[in-house]
Amino acid sequence: MAAIKLKNIVKSFGDTAVVKGIDLSIEDGEFVVLVGPSGCGKSTTLRMIAGLEQATSGDIVIGERVVNDIEPQHRNIAMVFQNYALYPHKSVRENIIFALRRLKVDNADIERRLAEVSEMLQLEELLDRKPADLSGGQRQRVAMGRAIIREADLFLFDEPLSNLDSKLRSHMRTEIGKIHNKFGRTSVYVTHDQVEAMTLADKVVVLHDGYIAQAGTPMEVYLNPANVFVAQFIGSPSMNIIEGTLFNDYLLVDNYRLPRKQLSNVALQTVIDQQGIPVKVGIRPDFFNDSRLFPETDNTFNFTGLQIDLIEPMGFDKEVLFNLAGEAVKARLDLRSELQRDQQIDLVVELSRVLLFDSETDQRL
Amino acid sequence: MTPLERAEARFGWKLVAPTIAILGLLILYPLMYNVYLSFFDVQLNGSKTFVGIENYIKLLSNSDYYSAIATTSLYLLGTVVGTTLLGLAMALLLRDPFMGRGLVNAAIMLPYVAPVISVVFGWQFLFDPISGVVNYLFVDLLGLWSERSNLIGDPDSALWVVVLFDIWKHAPIAYLLILSKLVSISRDQYEAAAIDGYGPIGRFFHVTLPELYFVLATVVLLRLIWNLNRFEDVYLLAPNVETLPIFTYYQAFTGVIDQGLAAATSVIQLGVLSIFIWFYIKKIMKW
Ligand SMILES: Nc1ncnc2c1ncn2[C@@H]1O[C@H](COP(=O)(O)OP(=O)(O)O)[C@@H](O)[C@H]1O
Ligand SMILES: [Mg+2]
Repeated sequence: MAAIKLKNIVKSFGDTAVVKGIDLSIEDGEFVVLVGPSGCGKSTTLRMIAGLEQATSGDIVIGERVVNDIEPQHRNIAMVFQNYALYPHKSVRENIIFALRRLKVDNADIERRLAEVSEMLQLEELLDRKPADLSGGQRQRVAMGRAIIREADLFLFDEPLSNLDSKLRSHMRTEIGKIHNKFGRTSVYVTHDQVEAMTLADKVVVLHDGYIAQAGTPMEVYLNPANVFVAQFIGSPSMNIIEGTLFNDYLLVDNYRLPRKQLSNVALQTVIDQQGIPVKVGIRPDFFNDSRLFPETDNTFNFTGLQIDLIEPMGFDKEVLFNLAGEAVKARLDLRSELQRDQQIDLVVELSRVLLFDSETDQRL
Repeated sequence: MTPLERAEARFGWKLVAPTIAILGLLILYPLMYNVYLSFFDVQLNGSKTFVGIENYIKLLSNSDYYSAIATTSLYLLGTVVGTTLLGLAMALLLRDPFMGRGLVNAAIMLPYVAPVISVVFGWQFLFDPISGVVNYLFVDLLGLWSERSNLIGDPDSALWVVVLFDIWKHAPIAYLLILSKLVSISRDQYEAAAIDGYGPIGRFFHVTLPELYFVLATVVLLRLIWNLNRFEDVYLLAPNVETLPIFTYYQAFTGVIDQGLAAATSVIQLGVLSIFIWFYIKKIMKW
């Protein structure tokens, strides 16, 4: 097992910088998820940790070793590839124990570990098949088995679930969580799926265009996003961002005046002059509530008389679209709220949930 | 078979039917005629007398026949192993794209596309005992040999010159076949093997070689078939190297002309070759 440090890692392909300076500490036994939109440099970062890609500059430390010039085969890592990368000529059994053969583990031990892993991943029936004769989900499990049978210092996952259908994906997500709880190995997991990030991670690292936009626990990035990008990337449906103006005593959104004193999650405390300052106001759809069910308190604000444009029932919840300051804004209400299109509704929001971002830099205020 | 597959199969047969018919006439007829001839004593004027298996008996009691088999075996072993290994080595070496790869490829293909007759004379010149480069190099320059020798003149050493010539001329086609497979092997298998702890040698044996198995088997098979029947290269470069095709030729067209005997030789050769190829395709290539 090992802790990992990335120190100012930069990676360019030719003239194109893909990873633009990443600093990251991963503790021993921690499950870190690198999440971000496609093309933001997640795989490249992971592959540099694996040694499959050489960093243009910066240091990578695994355990006590600076591994910059150490080949992947000497890094003692296990990895699950996005397309699984199974050996087509080897049986499932040989695929799984291939690394153990290299390590010259004795046969009895190999058999014991193989039995354990294949039971855990329900591979017993498949051991003599070739990868070509397996379904996508089965291949995925073989790739998992090949990784966990090793006692590697470090586990790397590159979007291991993205080729599965949604049911299998959520099942395997749970399995990966269980496996990590059982073995407690340091893991770095790459995904573009924020649900995987939220559910699996001890620490979520949101990547944006080659930079770390924010790193923190799932709840930190959900409740206290550092910028508009993270705010909108994490959470589904995405956070509403509405134009507003911050005055010394209140926040003006459309015609509503939210008392500034009670915006307890806003760090900005300076005196603001007459014209006010333009800001972006972030409110998650989940934090709107139907005022008929959630009465107003001292710490809530009531957006009265909102005109409903669209209702999307989802079963337990429904998503309601309305207009606020010229933006289509979404609220997620539970099934008790009986609503109709074109009806007017009053929605309450806890003022501590209202976030402000700089309108120029998109950074949290 | 699904109905779609059945329809495809029927269509396939229709497409290949004319080819099969023409090939049948062109190949099967001379083949059968050859089998037929092998049971006759054929005179130069064309008259034939049925002699049963006498040709076969005569052949099997001829010690030259066995020495031709031995020569052919050595020739096959040397050329098949040589071309395959050289082709593989070149393909591995030139696998990654580099500047001027097209030019290098063209140069490598040159021996393969050059007409035999022209390169044969070049080779004879190289090995010439008086003015040849080879003797100059090994005797005068390096001093490895104590005296000049006529390597092509002596049948024992000529065999190895002929083997060398064939490797030089046919390694390019092995190279091309192997390279085309090599560049299609996906990178992630190598990456997975590296992660699993295998260095370059382990990756060669566990990823490259299994992927190349089929193309290597094909190269070996093709080389065997071509070279078992190889005539012109050997005959032109060193007519004293009596491989089976050349032995057959001498039987049929020189000295005491005996076409019946020659026919018997080729019938045996065809039989052995057929069994051999059947076995190879079934067991090695696992078709
Ligand atoms: N070998 C490469 N050569 C050139 N560009 C590359 C290479 N690998 C990745 N890239 C580029 O780097 C960017 C980030 O890639 P990647 O790390 O795979 O993104 P992600 O995994 O976050 O989707 C992409 O724009 C991709 O096109
Ligand atoms: Mg990727």
